[in-house]
Amino acid sequence: MSLHADVEEILLDSETVAARVAELGAQLASDYAGRDPVLVSVLKGALVFLADLMRTMDLPTSIDLMEVSSYGAATESSGQVRILKDLSKPIEGRDVIVVEDIIDTGLTLNYLLGYLADRQPASIRICCLLDKPARRLADIPIDYIGFTIPDRFVIGYGLDYDERYRNLPYIGVLKPSVYGGAPPEG
Amino acid sequence: MTSDSPPRFAHDSEAELARILDYYGVAWRYEPDVFPISWNADGAVIESFAPDFYLPQVDLYIELTTLKQSLVRKKNRKLRYMRQLYPEIRVKLFYARDFKALMLKYGRLDFLTDMAAANGAYAHTGAGINR
Repeated sequence: MSLHADVEEILLDSETVAARVAELGAQLASDYAGRDPVLVSVLKGALVFLADLMRTMDLPTSIDLMEVSSYGAATESSGQVRILKDLSKPIEGRDVIVVEDIIDTGLTLNYLLGYLADRQPASIRICCLLDKPARRLADIPIDYIGFTIPDRFVIGYGLDYDERYRNLPYIGVLKPSVYGGAPPEG
Repeated sequence: MTSDSPPRFAHDSEAELARILDYYGVAWRYEPDVFPISWNADGAVIESFAPDFYLPQVDLYIELTTLKQSLVRKKNRKLRYMRQLYPEIRVKLFYARDFKALMLKYGRLDFLTDMAAANGAYAHTGAGINR
């Protein structure tokens, strides 16, 4: 069965996404000219965005990947967020650009920013493809935003539902029937 | 963060939100402040608003409304007065749909099932999300 059949609406088509990613890459290359930033992404959703973004940056860069536990996957009822995969190299003195797919509540990123700051980088900036501010629970200073989107359940371009749909080339809204209820946006 | 003895939450959704905030290390206080919003002719307070949570790190109050629509309307009215009287106070209303989306995001569909059973409002399948 086609993945596309589960998409209620294409929110951002692949051409629109690609054009905006190229703009972000050019902006980053300009802002970081003469420097050698490290792009840090959080698995898994940001992978596609990271891969496309870094290829639009005419700049010497390196990348690193982290994985952070999610509340919903916590087995214990009173657990705390954990780093499942840490940085592979120190970032002390480096210019760090956190590359995120989507910022919603901001809770994970808020934790991650504190964790990264403790490693004493020269600077930390945030570049996210999608900003969904409606349910923000943490103040996140986002420096580069691809698109500000409405409060819809989006998939594709790395974003998943139950590990599926990451390979859709566009950002789409998932049909509520897939998760079996009324749409989260009401 | 929470105090040593957890507060007595009025609703399971409030306890769940507290667990999420704890998980991500976000400090919170439960119903720490009461804001008068209506007074009688003698100046006595006849109506007030006590948001469910206060997040000191972001200076934000949160009110959860996962209840029936008539009560949501009442809360909306209170929030309107609150914003008129205390414009410097940041309050965010989390509607049932917002809370459901949060549960969906964290794959806590089992919790939604329990809520649905309690409210008769929401059904779902069994998958989760792993962004």
